[in-house]
Amino acid sequence: MTRLLEVWGDTVDSRHLAVSVGIGVVIPVPVFLIAEQFFTANVENPALGKSYALLAGLVGCLVAALVAGRLFKPKRVVRAQDVVDEASQRAALDAIVAESGELGDPGDLAKPIQDELHALGLYDVLLADHRRRREAAALEEQAPATGSIQETDPETPDAAYAQGHGK
Amino acid sequence: MSPDFISALLWAISMGLVGAVVFAAIGLVSGTDETATVAPLTLLVVLLGVPAPGVFTFFLAGVVAKHITHMIPTTLLGIPGDTMAVPMMREAQLLRELGVPHIALRKAISGGVIAAFIAVPFAVLFATLLTPAADAIGKAAPWIFLVVAAFIAYTSKGKWAAVVALVPFVLLIAGLQAFAVQNTGKSLSISFFLGIATGPLIAALFTTLSPGRKSMVRSGPREFSLAADVRTWKGRLPNPFSVLDRKQLAFTSGAAVVSSATFVFSPVAMTVLMGEVAGQRIKNGYHRLTSVIAVRNGTTESTYIAETLIPLIALGLPLSPLAAGPAAPLFNAPPVYTVNAETGETNNLHNLLSTWEFLGFGLIAVAIATLIAYPFAMTHAHRAASWVMRKVSHEAIIGAFIGLIIVISLYEGGVVALLVTVSVGLIGGLLNNAFHVHSGVQFMGFYVAILSVPQILALVG
Repeated sequence: MTRLLEVWGDTVDSRHLAVSVGIGVVIPVPVFLIAEQFFTANVENPALGKSYALLAGLVGCLVAALVAGRLFKPKRVVRAQDVVDEASQRAALDAIVAESGELGDPGDLAKPIQDELHALGLYDVLLADHRRRREAAALEEQAPATGSIQETDPETPDAAYAQGHGK
Repeated sequence: MSPDFISALLWAISMGLVGAVVFAAIGLVSGTDETATVAPLTLLVVLLGVPAPGVFTFFLAGVVAKHITHMIPTTLLGIPGDTMAVPMMREAQLLRELGVPHIALRKAISGGVIAAFIAVPFAVLFATLLTPAADAIGKAAPWIFLVVAAFIAYTSKGKWAAVVALVPFVLLIAGLQAFAVQNTGKSLSISFFLGIATGPLIAALFTTLSPGRKSMVRSGPREFSLAADVRTWKGRLPNPFSVLDRKQLAFTSGAAVVSSATFVFSPVAMTVLMGEVAGQRIKNGYHRLTSVIAVRNGTTESTYIAETLIPLIALGLPLSPLAAGPAAPLFNAPPVYTVNAETGETNNLHNLLSTWEFLGFGLIAVAIATLIAYPFAMTHAHRAASWVMRKVSHEAIIGAFIGLIIVISLYEGGVVALLVTVSVGLIGGLLNNAFHVHSGVQFMGFYVAILSVPQILALVG
């Protein structure tokens, strides 16, 4: 059986997690307790002595993180995505149109935004897509009753998801 | 300049730097919830005895820097940097698929920086408008907390379930508090906060030991594709004003002002709403995406700043989702900062800093966070994201967090406090998972147990 688990938003190995939590207890806690004994005995102001002990405990936590980080590598596979995928680009354009109406003619934008698009190499992509959509719309008008109507979902999924994370 | 002022200024600048560096780094790690990270570390800074100006700039520079670097995983990896990054996932993903993730990143962080600078003076202004009502609000505080707790619960995803779940949760806190007083001779609060803030982690760790573990099993490591980052400028780093066009500047600033005034609403809800309002007014698809992401990230900054500053300046009572969450230790961190349960009297940043100091130190904090996080995110985003993904193991982060939870609990009240933290964390985390009773609702539940319950009992006789 796999030992990989999803805990607190990322993948971990269950045994590595257990050892890491163990390290997180075994290093900082004794450091704090010993420091508390030492500082409350040797510092006049007891509140200040406890603060020093807390600081020592924090350093213990950092040491624990370094040790566990040394022992265990992340369970992630990272791939470099260097080339723009034309298929996903087209899918993104479709999604933009489906979610919020239209893409628009980039030629209608203000000059600085047009410059920005030229610099990104996106101007021609957007223009071609806009023309393609206009032609498709024109064709559909010529042949009525055969075209399908694209339904749009008014509630974007991200908004619905985010509402749940009430903060 | 008096020596006192110089000392305050030095504390403010140095702690602002520490906060900005620490939280700019934490922002790179995806899924690091603000309440779970900002509240414990701010608490630590308060308890260590850092003077008020330093505590304030540590917190503010920290959240501003985190909400700049949280866009790095969000835009380049397609995973939310933290809870406030979730509303920007869709725009980030579409811009990534269009092949311009770096533009998503730059628009978002430029919006964040501009909104942060606008939010500080406006929050101070709105706070001073509210100040005349402060006495009346203070006297009615126990009842206001009751109403606000129900309101925050109802506006959460849990709706009525969250409102009703408040009752047993408040009873749990009242009971644990009585147990703690009986056994340690003093009441606890840090341990309750810590349990609430880290509840989801504590509940998840318990689940790994239970049959529920099956739902957590993964067949292989998580796969990510890291988008390339292209530098599109020559010479000096572009400033935020040149990254955004005029319309985007106007929308971002407008959203910052509006969201600075609405300090009782959920920051996530405001972030979604401000983006929608701007998006509906922009026709072109590409322009709409880049504008919405700038406005939304700007709102993550302005809501966090205003929801902290307004209750701090005007009331001293934690009456906003932020104040009853990441900013909680600025209001209540005994023995250093206190809110008296019987009289409603406060001894916290509200009493220790003047309005002008809030304004001045607030702007200093935003400036420091900008100077640290903005150039870093503009130039090193790709390398930083890659390093974190390949080198920082999640196990190590969880281990260190568990250590921190135990140490802080022991500090407050020994083994009894630790048991309180674990109990609150487990129950709170399960309420969060099962009924969407999020940590903001639970923080309000804590104040209801401490402030409102004694009043209700007195009435009932």
